[in-house]
Order: sequence, then structure tokens, then C-alpha cells
Amino acid sequence: MNRVRSLSILALLLVAATVTAQDLASFEKRIQSRVLSNGLTVLILERHDAPVFSYATIINAGSAQEVPGITGLAHMFEHMAFKGSDLVGTKNWSAEEQALRKVEATYAAYDQARHATVIDASKVEELRKAWQDEIAEADKNVQDNQFSEIVDRAGGVGMNAFTASDITGYFFSLPSNRFELWAYLESERFRHPVFRQFYKERDVVFEERRMRTESSPFGRLLEQFLGSAFIAHPYGFATVGWPSDLHSFSATDAQAFFDKYYVPANMVITVVGDVSSAEAWPVIEKYFGRLEKSPAPPALRVVEPPQIAERTVTLRESSQPIYIEGYHRPASTDPDSATYEVISMLLSNGRTSRLYKSLVRDQKIAAGAAGFNGFPGEKYPNLFTIYAIPTPGHTPEEAATAIHTEIDKLKTEDIQADELQSVKTRVKAGVIRGLTGNSGLAMQLAQYQTLYGDWRELFREVDRIDKVTAADVKRVANSTFMESNRTVGMIESASKGGAK
Amino acid sequence: MKKTAALLATLFLAATALGQAKDYREIPVPPLRKFSLPQPKRIQLSNGMVIFLQEDHELPLIRGIVYIRGGARNVPAAKAGLAGIYGQAWRTGGTPKQTGDELDQFLESRAAFVETHADDDSADVTINVLKGDFDAVFPVWVDLVKNPAFRQDKIDLAKTQANTAISRRNDEPGGIVGRESTKLGYGADSPYARQAEYATITSITHEDLVDFHQRTVHPNNMIVSFIGDFDSAKLEKKLRDTFSSWKRGAQVAKPDPAIHAAKPGLYFIPKDDVTQATIAMVHGGTERNNPDYYALQVMNEVFSGGFSGRLMKSLRSQRGLTYGVGGGVGSPWDYPGLFRLQMSTKSETALESVNALRDEVRRLVNDPVTEEELALAKESLLNAFVFTVDTRDKALQQQLLLEFYGFPPDTFTKYPAEIGKVTAADVQRVAKKYVQPDQLAVLVVGKESAFEKPLSSLGPVTNIDITIPTGAADQKKVAPSAGNAEGTALIRKVAQFVGNVSALQTLGRTGSMTMKTPQGDMQADVQSVTRYPDSQRSVLKLPMGEITRVITPDTAFVITPMGTQDLPSSQKDAQLADMRAELVTVLKNLDNPKYTFTAGAKEGDAQVLEINAAGTAVTWYVDPATGRLVRTVAQASQPMPGEVVTEYSDWKPLGGLNLPTVTVMSRNGEKAGEMHLASVEVNPAVDDKTFVKP
Repeated sequence: MNRVRSLSILALLLVAATVTAQDLASFEKRIQSRVLSNGLTVLILERHDAPVFSYATIINAGSAQEVPGITGLAHMFEHMAFKGSDLVGTKNWSAEEQALRKVEATYAAYDQARHATVIDASKVEELRKAWQDEIAEADKNVQDNQFSEIVDRAGGVGMNAFTASDITGYFFSLPSNRFELWAYLESERFRHPVFRQFYKERDVVFEERRMRTESSPFGRLLEQFLGSAFIAHPYGFATVGWPSDLHSFSATDAQAFFDKYYVPANMVITVVGDVSSAEAWPVIEKYFGRLEKSPAPPALRVVEPPQIAERTVTLRESSQPIYIEGYHRPASTDPDSATYEVISMLLSNGRTSRLYKSLVRDQKIAAGAAGFNGFPGEKYPNLFTIYAIPTPGHTPEEAATAIHTEIDKLKTEDIQADELQSVKTRVKAGVIRGLTGNSGLAMQLAQYQTLYGDWRELFREVDRIDKVTAADVKRVANSTFMESNRTVGMIESASKGGAK
Repeated sequence: MKKTAALLATLFLAATALGQAKDYREIPVPPLRKFSLPQPKRIQLSNGMVIFLQEDHELPLIRGIVYIRGGARNVPAAKAGLAGIYGQAWRTGGTPKQTGDELDQFLESRAAFVETHADDDSADVTINVLKGDFDAVFPVWVDLVKNPAFRQDKIDLAKTQANTAISRRNDEPGGIVGRESTKLGYGADSPYARQAEYATITSITHEDLVDFHQRTVHPNNMIVSFIGDFDSAKLEKKLRDTFSSWKRGAQVAKPDPAIHAAKPGLYFIPKDDVTQATIAMVHGGTERNNPDYYALQVMNEVFSGGFSGRLMKSLRSQRGLTYGVGGGVGSPWDYPGLFRLQMSTKSETALESVNALRDEVRRLVNDPVTEEELALAKESLLNAFVFTVDTRDKALQQQLLLEFYGFPPDTFTKYPAEIGKVTAADVQRVAKKYVQPDQLAVLVVGKESAFEKPLSSLGPVTNIDITIPTGAADQKKVAPSAGNAEGTALIRKVAQFVGNVSALQTLGRTGSMTMKTPQGDMQADVQSVTRYPDSQRSVLKLPMGEITRVITPDTAFVITPMGTQDLPSSQKDAQLADMRAELVTVLKNLDNPKYTFTAGAKEGDAQVLEINAAGTAVTWYVDPATGRLVRTVAQASQPMPGEVVTEYSDWKPLGGLNLPTVTVMSRNGEKAGEMHLASVEVNPAVDDKTFVKP
């Protein structure tokens, strides 16, 4: 399970930007949408080629819902969603429930003691041991990995989940004769999740942090870059969590996060494949109707203040150089979003894109260079980000200069009609190409429904991009690509050298 | 469709009747409805070309591919990387009619793709267009397949990209472990493990690409397939008209896999900028046509299938040691695969994880799988089987694979029956046959000082040197092979300053040194013996014990409290190169034609003296008034590339010579250590064993 994903959602949305009215009409006919009485939104799209189906569950909450002290908790919950419920994953629920209460009580005492201003080491050790003893007791009741075992045994494929800044997603595919089993399992894990083996799984998540962030130069760079670009908004937090929080937060914290954000009104489920909607609805009502109705979580208050000074982070590493820069831009619901999408395509899509032609093909100073929207999320004001991977012997500074030359052209020169048209053509084709496969469709529809409140936005975006003019591109480039609105992240190779 | 509806109705009624299911086992599972997707149409032209056509009218798209036998494994070792350059420059280098840049413009304005790519055993040219553009783009695809131009500017671009990949290949631990464990499993020279180097990339020419193309791109070596919104009869005619007159060529043969696996044991690659150890275990595997294939699939599923496999259950869920662990016996289509496991864990549990993984391997061989495990594995594989044939695209891909590798048509269809037959005894038998715990090469990449114990506490360790060879392009940096008169005069001045070294055979030194380490400064007493020209033994007395290092042209090793260990040859070579450029050695070689001296400009009080010391380039800065050596600047490749500056001071008369007693070294502008010389002994008696490995 369980990728911390931020870049790829964006990439997906980029591919899936838009389509024609005809496509929308055809999908209008085939997609059924319902809001259950508890507030849960469910979409069904029938595709009957083979007796299989895929689903996606999207929770409209991610690491942006965290505050210092519990960073990483959205992702931690995602891991726990594979641990089962009071019915799945236990050998004896009443014994386990009691034991888990003791685990939490002993952990709270231990955590309090080890974070005290004056630390009594022997007391901390004693409390730690008491907590570990309770864990051992609780573990006796665990039916290891039963949730995933049921899915595996039923022929499930592609079982996974991800946590991003904006959303958390769960997905897999099953043969269609297991539809009711799926409805049971998927509702079960959000009806009464049980935080068994929580502290072992916390270690697993820490290993994920070590693997993706700490032991990867690029991972370290991205964490430092985001932390510099956002000084107030939680987009600056590591989605996987800061080390202190990963060492500290509890199952009780996870329960509180779940109670607040995993409410039906904050979730979307899409099912795509060989199901008959007429027969599927009653099954969905029966199982997902069990989720308790609860008020939707409050909106996020914090807004990133305007950036007034350029910020730069430089990592001096033994690895090869990387250059990345970001400019604050509005949320994806802003009317200028389509223009940002066009700018991203102009700079980055294909071998006719401006960054490829300049940095990769002609100057040969970068092996790859591109600009993209929506980093690390898009629900809130985010970054238009540009990166370059320098070729041997070339530096991040050279890449920066070449990138800024291309940006200046966007600000001062009108783009040609044929270049703009080519971009629009590719956006449309991209949407069509994105409409294949049960799994991909389920995920796209669920994400659009979650972020925009209507899956149809997947198709409407095409019309908005069609209306973008050369003047729009120039205007938005000028209002965005300013030095004072820029954050730069670089890896400089420590082995660079030069005589003293 | 009626049948589906009926089944789903049954399912629904059953569910309602049951009310709130408390146990998932109570949920009814109706039989999966039978289905069959249209199979692609197969056509074979008289010139041997095979064509598959699969209509799919859901979206207004047409996609095609031509697969051509021959890829990276068919390239000589000295040209490793050729296939990658070929796969890229084939498309970017354009055709005689259109440059690659013109193709970009033509295709992207239509949102169309025509792309080329080369793999281990094949190359391919794809086309992906909106239906309405097919007739315009099809001829471009054909032209590219038959007439690539491989323009030089795009070959150069592809080489730049390849060199970038080489320069970055040691940045991420996962990449290192994947690559190096493959080399351990096959041997670095096997066609399945070879890696491109700067030198092999440099050697690739336009002619090489043209040769490779002419050798492989024949109609009898290729399979063409199309899927999408077209009429099969019309497209068949178009393809026949296009390709029927193409003449046959020679068949591409499969190379000898030339497997020379590494010896079992522990292998280590140091990487300090990580908080995890990344571990791989590897030995030989098998091929797809092995009758034991099915039992092996069940075994792999028991061992590491998803989250319910043994590895994830034990090492992740129960012990919290890792985020990712997995592996099994590999069985590629037409060459031997590997048995390989991979895992990452925090540095502090590196050895615990190696042991835990080994225990799981032994358990796989020794403990019979339970009936419960067997049932779970078989049900998982059988119930998921539908996903191998659930789209027209997959049905087409299967036919392509069977055609490409020459497998019987029932290869996929018989899979469920064959899996169904596998017994616990079969699994046990193949585990014993294909998994050999004592034959594993165990590779660990990480920061050893953070491990709970030295890796050598698990047994003898072989270090693997992954320094990237600098390649022919960089050799030009060596100082000029002919010196100048001014240079000769200057070096003689240095010789005068130091004194006569001609009678010096062996030099013993004692002193102390301070080294910068990540943990802070480290102090050591040092004793060394140098036997000119090329043998040295040094003994460092450190708080944690004594370390002895011996370098000679024949041997290079270190003796530590943990035992004796050979140094990688690249480290040995680097040390020997350093010795050639060392002060006394240089002065003993003033008349050696392999040593040249070129004086350069004055910088401050010192004059630049470029020295080529039998291939080692070093720059000296010499006080021209006295002949005193002020500092040296050299490019080091070990332990990582960088510039090493050494400053010499406090010259004192010692053993009849005038020598610097304080030497300060810095690397890339940061101080790395300093050495204080206390005493020297000229021509001490030296035991022959001094330079021989115990």
C-alpha cells in the first residue's frame, strides 16, 4: 500500500485535461450517480467486456488536513485501512478490544514521560516496557493481514492506496462475481476500522520515509523545496510526516483523524466494469448505508500569504545536480487554471515543447526539463513547478538561466496561433486516450468528482482550454513568473571542485 | 448479457435474504460468467512477416507496433549501450525525407505518436493516432521502420542522454542494488547484465547503428500488430500492399547467456548518504518452458504474493522491519532468470534483516507449505486469472508474446488447469530444487558505520567497487607527454632542495595523522614503509584497533581487527597512481622518459609545474627561488571524484634529506586530514613478508 503520491496525481490530471461534448454526452448516458442518505457519493459506469470490475474510493482529505505534531497521520491512516475491522482481522474481538485500550493507555503514559521537560530515563524505560507488554498481549488476537488475504484469495489485483496532500485514495479490481464481497470489505474498513498493530505499522511507515525521502537525493530535495515554498500552508509539510511525529502519534490520534475526515459526506466511490447498476445499487445501499452520517469536516482556514522574496535551498550532495523552481499559483478551481495548463503544455509536452527544444535538444545542458501544475496538490493555491536534470558537466545555474529565458519569452512574446492550436489538439486527444481501462476510469472519475464536485469537469475542461488565448498566456505568465514569487531548490554536486 | 443479469439478480437476492452479513464467508459467490473476447486475426505474409489485427471500436484511436527480434543482448560487450542509442536515434534522427525535428512538428500538431525503442531482446516502432489521422501518419511510420537516417546530431544527443544516465546511476540505492545484484547473478559480462560505460558510449558510431538495423530489420524477424477503430479487411490490404514485396533477410539468433555467477557470500557497497540498508539476495533461476513453471508460480505466491505472502507477513506486518520486501524464482521467456529477493530496512537493523531474510529462504526450503497456504496461493492465482484476458489489448499481447517466443498456442489457456494440479509436495520439491540458501550472493548497500554490527560479523565480505570509470573522453586531461626545458630546470631545483634520493631504496616513516570523518576528527599514529618504486605498507593505530594497508602492483589488502580483506582493483590502481606522483618517487624518476615536466605560469609566489608521472597527472606549485614544493593538486577518483590539494610545510632535515613534516590534505575545498612526520629511517631492513598477504 501506500504510496505517498503527489506528482503523479498531477500528471494524471494533466493527461486527462478535457474532451468534446460528444464524449461528455456518451458518458452522461452511461454513468449513474447517487448520493446515499448518509451523504456518500457513488458513481457507477458499466463496461461489460469481461466479468471484472474496478473501483476507487477517494477521501477528500490528505496531509493538508494535518497540523504540526500529527504530520503523516493521513498517510498512517491509509496504512491502517488494510488492518481490518472488528469483524475482519481478529481472532477474538472482545479480548482484542480490551487489550488495545490498554495499549493506548500505556502508550499515552510512556509518550508523556519521554517528552517531559526533565526526563526520568528509568521511568521512561519502565513505561515503554509496560506498553510493549500490552502490545504483545494485543497481538495474540490478530489474524495477520486478513483483509488483504480475503482480497487476494478472491482474485483481487492491483490492491493499493495512496495519500496525497489533497486526497487519500484506495483501489483494486476483482472478478465481478465478488461484487458483494467487495461492498462488504470496502464498507467494513470505513465503518469500524481497528488500529491493530499500529505501532509496528508506524515503523513500516518510517521505513517508507527512509526509503523515499531520506535515502533518495531527489526525495530530500523535494522535502526541502516544499518546506521552503510554503511558510504557512500545510502543503509545506512532508506528506509522509516529520520524523518526530512519526515517532510519536498514536492510534488514538488516528481515530480522531478518522472520525473527523472519514465521514460519508467527504467520500466518493466509483465502480467501473461488469456490474449491472440496477442490481448493484441495492448492494451498495445495504453495505455503505452502514457508514454513520456525520457532518462534513470544516474547511481549511489557512491561506499561504503572498510570497515577497525569492527563496533558495541548496543541497550539497555526493549525487548529481538537479534544479527545480516553483511559483505560487491559484487553486485548480480558479478561472486561470486552463491557461496554466496551456503554459505547462507549451513548456513541456513533447519534443516540440519549448524547454525540450532549448535545454535538451539544442543546448544539451539537460537530459530532461519540464514544467507542471499542481504541486504538491491543487485543491488549494499551489506551485507551478519547473525542473531540469543537468547533463554531465553542466550546472543547475545554467539550467536556471535557460529556463528563465523561456519564461521571459512567454511574458514578452505572443505565442503563435499554430503552436497554441497544436497544444489544444493534444489536450483533447489526451483526454480520449485517458478513457481506457476500468481502473483508470474509476480513478479519474472519482478524483474529478471529489475535487470539483462533478465528474463532468473532466470533459468540460476541454472547452475552457479551447478558449485560452495568446493574451491569456502572456498575462498569466507576467503575473506568475516573478522573482519574488519564486522558490528554487537545487542539488549541487559536492564533487564539483576547482583549484583554490 | 441476459445471463449476467440473471446471475447478478441471484447474487442480490441472496444478499438481501442474508441480511447483515457478519462473516465474509457467508457472502454468496456466484460462478463467474463465461465470456470470450474476440481474438486477433493472424496473417502471415510470404516473406515471413506475421501480422495481428484486433478491432476495438470503443474509442476513435488506432495503435500499432512492429516488434523486431534483436536488442541489447545482441550487441557486443564493447558496444554496451548501443541498443539504447539505436532506440532513441532511430526516431529522433528522422528519415531521408524528414528530419526528426520535422517529424516532431508533423506528429505533435496531430496529437500523434510514432516512437522507437529498443529493449533487451527486441526493438519496436509504435504508432498511436486518432482515427482521422491514420492515413496521413501511417506512411511516416512505414518510412521510419524501413529507412531511418540516424543523423549524427541526434546520435550525439542520445549519447549525452546515455552519459547522463551513467553519471547518475549511483545516486539512488534501489538502482544500485538492482543493477549490481543482476551482475552478481549473471556475471558482469553476460548479455543480460552488461552495462554501458562512458567508453562504450563514446565508441558507438553511425555505422554501428546502420549495421544493427540491417542485421535485424527484416520482415521474417518482425511481428506487426494493430488494435483500434479500423476495418480489419481494409487494414489487412493496406499492410499487404506495403510489406509484401519486402525481401527476407537473415534470422536474428539468441546469444549464449554466458552466465558466470558470483561466488556465494557477502558483498558490500558503501553508500553514506542513506539511512537505510538495501539488501538483495540472488542466485540462478530458470526459464518459462520449464515444466516446473506452475509449481514455481505457486511457490512464489506462497513466499511473496502480495500482502498475504510469507515475506510481507513476517518482515513487514509482524516485525515492522521494512516497507518493501519481495522476490522469487524468475522464469523469463527464453533465457534463464534469477532467484532474487530485495528488501530495504533502517541501517540499525541491516544485519538483523539479512538474517531474517535468510531464515525465510531456509524456511521455504525446509518447512513444507501448509494446506492452508497452498489453498490461498492457488485460489489467488486462479481467481485472478481472468485479469490476464480481460481486455482485447491483453488478448492481443498474449498472441504477440507466443509468436515472438515461439510458444504453443495453449500456453495461456492451460494455465488454470496446470496451477490446479500443483500439490504441496510439488511446491516442496521445486523449493528444494530451485532455491539454494547456501548458494546465495548477498548484497548490502548502505552506511556500514550505522549498522548494528560490522557486516563482516556475518562472515567474509567482498567489497564491490562501483566507481564509474571515467572513460576515454576524460583521459585527455592527462598532462602533455612531452615536457619543456623550463619544467626540467624547475624539477631539478626541487631535487636540489630535497637532496639526493638516488641511494634511497626503502624509506621508513613514523608520525601521526588526523582525519576528518563524519563522526568528527580521528587521530592515529602512523608507521609506514615504502619500497621504491611501487610497494608500501602502512600501519594506522586507531582507538578501535590497528589497520594495516599494503599496496603493491601484485596485491592490495587491508588487515583490520575483523580480518583481512582485498581492496577493489580500482582502489589499488588509484593508490599505485598516487605513488607514482609522490615526491620522492618523482625525484627518483627525473630521467625516466615516462615522466615529463612542463613549467607553466606563476601563480602568486609559486610556479606551476605540470607533471605526467607515467600516466598520473598532477600539478605542483613550486617556489622558483628555492625549489621548495608548496602544494600539489590532483584529480582523484577514489573514494569519489574530486580535487585533492595537498599543502607541504615545516621542511626539516631528516635522514639526510630535506622533507616536509606537515602535510595538509583537502578534498574539494574541505580539509580532509593532516599528517605530521616525526622521524624517518633510510633503507631499513625489510622482511620479504612485509608486502605479502598473510
